[in-house]
Amino acid sequence: MLEKLLGGGKLEKKVLDTTKKYLQILRSAMECLKNVFLTENIEETYCIDALEREADSLRREIISIIYEGAFLPYIRPNICNFIEITEKAFDALKTCAFEFRYLNKDLFQKIKEDVLRIANINLDMSEILIKAFSALIEKNNIREKNLAIRIYEKRVDEIKLDIADKIRKWEITNFWDGKNISEFIEALTKISDIIEDASDYLYIIDLSLK
Amino acid sequence: MAKKIYEIMNTKLETIPADATVYEAIEKLIDKRIRSLLVLPKDEKDRPGVVTVRNIIFKVLAKNLDPHKVKISEISSKPLITVSKEATVEDVLALMEKYNIARVFIKEGDEIVGVVSFFDIMAHILIERAKS
Repeated sequence: MLEKLLGGGKLEKKVLDTTKKYLQILRSAMECLKNVFLTENIEETYCIDALEREADSLRREIISIIYEGAFLPYIRPNICNFIEITEKAFDALKTCAFEFRYLNKDLFQKIKEDVLRIANINLDMSEILIKAFSALIEKNNIREKNLAIRIYEKRVDEIKLDIADKIRKWEITNFWDGKNISEFIEALTKISDIIEDASDYLYIIDLSLK
Repeated sequence: MAKKIYEIMNTKLETIPADATVYEAIEKLIDKRIRSLLVLPKDEKDRPGVVTVRNIIFKVLAKNLDPHKVKISEISSKPLITVSKEATVEDVLALMEKYNIARVFIKEGDEIVGVVSFFDIMAHILIERAKS
């Protein structure tokens, strides 16, 4: 739809293709984080930094192609905003991976199951976000993708409450253990919020083009 | 391949003793924002049951009975309709339709490990549609 509506020139196609690649990298980072939790291998956390750098370079490429004149002026900020929203997901992923490196692993074991459930949902959400982006371009039903993302986000909220219930019952005497696990959970559960925001933004772009 | 029910079940089971009052159940349902409670067996010979908002409305409140005086065991539904955690979503849907019930409890061996409601099934179907 975007391509057709806005002429479907070379620059536009390049932006759309690069954005798809960018979202694929986001998906890979989600998968990487899930594997980190499964294997509890600290070394694997560094894959998220590598993917974030790769995504950063694609993000700059997308923005510069837009500055070269891709898309009609009124649509440009929308694309840029969408990319900037998803960039926050990389920040949260990075924080999560960083905090995991210093996390008290005994504490982690007590919430591992819940953490894995969230990581799985985050991965699923990133896949649906890719499909939502494709739906926007191909004029398919973006509303259904958006709803599925909202359902998933509510599930993460529920799991977050369960984790908070558990954590409140622990007696954590080390300041850094407490700070660390709090920031870890905060970053992990923020990812779904950001994907929901990105999906809402796509939905708004879709509506604005009708 | 059909999705197994344990992948979508809700593992957070809220329970209530069979000798608790209906009012206690109402408080718990409101506090937890849920629509049913698993009723614990009175003794080893007893079986677990379920008490739902529907039970409370039709068997107590609509009849102007005092929820402080009615015991959960007097209004709970038994036996529980259960399936193995390896059952598929389709199996559960068929049970819901057959017994006209809104939730099915999930068992692993003899233990109840989760519950699946209409809402969970609807969310699952919508997510699968979005993924396709």
